Amino acid sequence: MPSLSRASHVSAESSTRGESAREMERGCGTILGGSIPLLQPRRKGANSLFPRSSSRRAQNRRRFAGVRAQDRNSQQQQLNLSVLRFTLGIPGLDESYLPRYIGLGFGSLILLNHFFSSSSSNVTSAQLRSEALGICLAAFSTALPYLGKFLKSATPVDRSSLPEGNKQIFVMSENASVTQKEDLAWASYVLLRNTNTMSVLIAVGDVLCVRGYWNMTEDLSKAHIVEWFKSQIQQTGFHDLEDTLYFPQKPDSDSQLGRMLPKGTLSLLVQPVLSTSTPTINVTKKTEGFVLLVSSADYAYGDKDRAWIRAVANKFQGT
Amino acid sequence: MEVGCLLLFRTLSSPLIRPPLRRHSWPVPSSPLLRASSSPPPLPSPPSAYPQGAYRGPKPRRDLVGDWVSNNDGFVRSLPIFVGGLSLLAVLLNRAFSGIAPVTDASSSQSRADILTLALAVTNLLSGLVWLSIRPKYISPVVPQGVDCKRINSKIANYAVLELLWAWESLSATTCCRSLVVVHGGFCLLQIGVAAESLTEVGEAVAVDVHKLIQSSVYRNVAESGKQSYLANLSLYPAKSELPFLPTTTQAVILQPLGNSGIAIIGGDTIRGFTDLDQAWITLIAEKLDVTLSKSQDN
Repeated sequence: MPSLSRASHVSAESSTRGESAREMERGCGTILGGSIPLLQPRRKGANSLFPRSSSRRAQNRRRFAGVRAQDRNSQQQQLNLSVLRFTLGIPGLDESYLPRYIGLGFGSLILLNHFFSSSSSNVTSAQLRSEALGICLAAFSTALPYLGKFLKSATPVDRSSLPEGNKQIFVMSENASVTQKEDLAWASYVLLRNTNTMSVLIAVGDVLCVRGYWNMTEDLSKAHIVEWFKSQIQQTGFHDLEDTLYFPQKPDSDSQLGRMLPKGTLSLLVQPVLSTSTPTINVTKKTEGFVLLVSSADYAYGDKDRAWIRAVANKFQGT
Repeated sequence: MEVGCLLLFRTLSSPLIRPPLRRHSWPVPSSPLLRASSSPPPLPSPPSAYPQGAYRGPKPRRDLVGDWVSNNDGFVRSLPIFVGGLSLLAVLLNRAFSGIAPVTDASSSQSRADILTLALAVTNLLSGLVWLSIRPKYISPVVPQGVDCKRINSKIANYAVLELLWAWESLSATTCCRSLVVVHGGFCLLQIGVAAESLTEVGEAVAVDVHKLIQSSVYRNVAESGKQSYLANLSLYPAKSELPFLPTTTQAVILQPLGNSGIAIIGGDTIRGFTDLDQAWITLIAEKLDVTLSKSQDN
């Protein structure tokens, strides 16, 4: 019996194994100005929820359609473990916010009813009780989507968009070795591709790699860009970080940080590269660099994302 | 593929990020915010504990609501049901004890208020039911039975060894992976983690028979398709017999081809333990490994 194979979304998008290899080669070669490499869209299908119109019956129908189709459904089921999904089928309407819309709508109707009845006749205490309860329920319903965001379930939704005013760049320090350049090119590619990231900055030792959409006001040469970023980083003090720093919502934009980050930043994650060597008495430096990721969606990095980002950052240990 | 300093230009194609796509889900939970879990806390320690030269930049605000909700997950999930149910009862009791006739016509303002409140209560009830239904099912991991082993082929270069070890550490730290076997260029380059115990030599791990593996059907399928194969519940597949070096209680296996000349076999301890995200990352890491191992083989 042949084993069932699942076409993973990433391999469907990347044509050959050469994808990653090309990234590394690009990293060690000279990057000329005109041809800025554009990457494939990040993982999207990975987060797709159960198909809208499918119910139990449709699932069964699909079971007979073929072994592969069944495998795909069972794979999707591993993330979405409910049988039925409530949906109105209106594109563009986010059903998780439905309690909020209902709460606001019905709450306003209750108020309307109250003022309408108080103008015409006396308001009984029973009605007042009922209305008070209704208002409380409306407030609670309005808060439900906010609470639901923090529950442990399903996958984060890719709600990112490309903000205006940023330029896509890909620069690397000239003094990096060939293997370092390959590693940096591959790591930045992988981070942009597999996480909800718009821009990435990797600083290891005195080598810098910047990739993605950044706030570049004027056209600077590659070397100037690197120098500019280095001076910005000096002022932020990220080299002193010892633990992951995660801003799930917009960081302060008027601080030093805000000047460096691209426009439309909503999430920021800074992962220090911890050094493996045992600290001696004189040297207490525990980090060798950091990886900075910027996203245009808030709450962009889940636990799993952060774990993988930590793993990628550990690649640069000891270099 | 030669890995040298080539100049390669990608033509400008579709933009990097698609236009915003609202996902249709109910609810839309993003990843939970900073919470006390087994992963290291993302929040830095309070300023008083800072040694010299520590980070002094802006720090994220503590989200108390998010933390509380994440810690009391079960309670919060059933909260809307209780709220909705109790309000339903309250409305009915209010009507009963206020001496109003139990007629639900919308003519009197009392009835209108009651109907609106009932509708809100039902909304809460349904929302709570949906939250309960999408609670992720917890499948407990099964301890793999075997011996720890760490076998690295001495023929490969040092940088390749470091990369393989990095891949193993990443996988074992972030996924449910407990065993890793890397075969490339006809040799078994790495066998690490928990492996099945050999019957002849007690305490030693079963060696990987590369010839037999290359001729097995799992390898051939994966090599032909060139795509990752995820056996989410290994006990359902007869391919189990073709992987004798994995512990007998391995629950899930990912077979990842490394280019054209190798395969990485990743064994996990939980049924369906590898998520979509893990699979995507494993695919990309495998590409990097393939390039490195090919380079090491060429030299």
